[in-house]
Amino acid sequence: MRRNLLIIMILLIILSSFSLSQVKTIKIWAMGEEAKNLNIMAEKFTKETGIKVDVQPLPWTAAFSKILTGVAGRQVPDLAMMGTTWMAPFSAMGAFEDLGSYIAKSKVVKPENFFAGSWETVVYNNKVYGVPWYVDVRVLYYRTDMLKEVGYNKAPDTWDELYDAIKKLSQKYGVGKTGIGLSPTEAANFMPFVWQNGGDIIDKNKNILVKNPEFIEALEFYSRFFKENLVAKGGANVFVDFESGLLPMFFSGPWMVSMIKEQVPKITGKWTVSIMPKKKTRTSFVGGSNWVIFKDSKNKKEAWSFIEFMTRSENQLEWYKILRSLPALREVWNRPELSNDPITRVFREQLDDAKSTPIVPEWDKIETALGRRVEEVCLGNRDVKEGVELLYKDLQKILRK
Amino acid sequence: MGLELSSPYLILRGYLYIMKNKIWEIFLFIGPSLLLLLVFTVLPVITSLFLSITDFNAYSFLDWSKTKIIWFQNFIDVLHDDLFWKAVLNTFYAFILAYPLTIFFSLLFAFLLNREETYFKNFFRLLIYLPSVTSTIAIAVVWSWILNPKYGLLNWFLGLFGLPPQEWLSDTRWAMFVVVSLVVWKAIGPNMLLFIAGLQGIPEELYESAEIDGANRWQQFWYITLPGLRPVLLFVSVMLGIGYLQLFEEPYMLTGGGPLNSTLSIVLYLYQKGFRAFEFGYASSVALILFVMIFGLTYIQMKMRVFQD
Repeated sequence: MRRNLLIIMILLIILSSFSLSQVKTIKIWAMGEEAKNLNIMAEKFTKETGIKVDVQPLPWTAAFSKILTGVAGRQVPDLAMMGTTWMAPFSAMGAFEDLGSYIAKSKVVKPENFFAGSWETVVYNNKVYGVPWYVDVRVLYYRTDMLKEVGYNKAPDTWDELYDAIKKLSQKYGVGKTGIGLSPTEAANFMPFVWQNGGDIIDKNKNILVKNPEFIEALEFYSRFFKENLVAKGGANVFVDFESGLLPMFFSGPWMVSMIKEQVPKITGKWTVSIMPKKKTRTSFVGGSNWVIFKDSKNKKEAWSFIEFMTRSENQLEWYKILRSLPALREVWNRPELSNDPITRVFREQLDDAKSTPIVPEWDKIETALGRRVEEVCLGNRDVKEGVELLYKDLQKILRK
Repeated sequence: MGLELSSPYLILRGYLYIMKNKIWEIFLFIGPSLLLLLVFTVLPVITSLFLSITDFNAYSFLDWSKTKIIWFQNFIDVLHDDLFWKAVLNTFYAFILAYPLTIFFSLLFAFLLNREETYFKNFFRLLIYLPSVTSTIAIAVVWSWILNPKYGLLNWFLGLFGLPPQEWLSDTRWAMFVVVSLVVWKAIGPNMLLFIAGLQGIPEELYESAEIDGANRWQQFWYITLPGLRPVLLFVSVMLGIGYLQLFEEPYMLTGGGPLNSTLSIVLYLYQKGFRAFEFGYASSVALILFVMIFGLTYIQMKMRVFQD
């Protein structure tokens, strides 16, 4: 009896290793909610092509260093999802496969089918190192019921209205009991204010623009919320605070839509999204993720077929249905599933006025310096002019090398 | 057994045996640990020493030829880096705060647990020792909830006495205190055990004869206990100095160095430079400067009269 069992076990092991050797497996690194849901697409892909997919989730906070150590130690997967702001440093390092020849031959991946702003993020030094997967753009999330209480039947339309609305809310509910959600160390949160005022941090030739009045004025406006205690502080998490009213307004991307519905269903119907309030423009931050193939991958052909699979418009649409990620492919936006959805329409409108942070390899350091100085001005006692002066020196140091 | 082994004859015989026959057998026994030490301690130290004079960074990973030797430029840059000095200041601030507190509390608890009159000794010993064997990550998660300004236990407790709620982790005035109290809380256990061992090593007769001579409690402490504890005190101080100057886990988990870099320690800064920004050359020179600081502090402690007989 026991011997029979042993024989069966051995047979099974031999069989399984045999069947494994027949099937190719591609390894994918993915982050956040995408990683949790990617298996749905992966199964479909396996059914279609017979290629197995192994998705390894990485937390966003640890992903950058994990990828970097992977590149350094040559322990990389075949392909990975890559945040748009990370494209430049890794491209400069030479970690990604140049996809030019693949795209030239491809019937599915055509540069002109993507949003121009999104395609820009995959190009580095005139070479294409990735294919856009989805885009995300930040918009204003707000509690319609609470804003109605202080006389706003629509979302705040201008900078002045934004300030006025939160000021009135804090007068009604008590100072410190409610506030807008701002995170000064995050460039995607702060930079839109600079862009809306017509400024920027550096220009195309890496000239530093932080001493310009547009930047200074934006920082003054941004820090005013902190100085007057109009920023939500000390909550549990975004969802609980959005429900409790501690955080009636914040800026975030499309992934929050389904998460809010899931986490705090009680307030369904009491919140919505709106495009950014206007100063000179309503410019917002556009980010998203691209697919990249690593230079050290041994299954480049299979990896490319997965990218083509994910780029097909029916799969872009399906992915939109799963996570509400905004398709990078333009034609998908004409589908009724997207064009009839009031919330998605807001994102579509915002996409027309959105830009990415500068695509330079030094961006990580620039963001750290920016975050530090903006935080000092907002939470410390640093004067705006002085903070800008120090930031200018930091950037000079970073860009000199 | 111990006496027999240490007898000169046996040592000599063993020595001759090794010399004559199989010296490699020694390495069979100490080899594995020697190898581990070599690969995971000595080699990295040498590499780090070398890296500190280069500009090794993220771009050098795939192509080592991009690395340049820049000699002391890193050290010059570090010494002109205001964030580094802020980290130094923070670290020494934490050290000056945590060091006496740890010694005081571990000594106090050692005394209390060493008294014959104390009940439930094992229970209290366990209770005080427990924080030091719990993983810092678990502790940090639990504490960050206790310290939560809106939902936390601590603010609720203060509220019972009519005290206003505090933003423990996002207020520059409190954050370092919180980090220090966590560090001290964790360090009391093991140091208390060392002090207990030290206390038990002092012969009972000394106290008895002192009592006969009419010495009071305070005099007994000052002239018998303290001199008797000198070796332990030296050991504890040196280890605390080394440990506290390498403050990392607690601020990393609780505050990430914030708010406004008020809990940024030297090692946390080193970590950010090395493993976030991947400027390994720069981070290595920070490490070397930290090494010199720890060396200096330890040297001073060794030379201090309090610890000498």
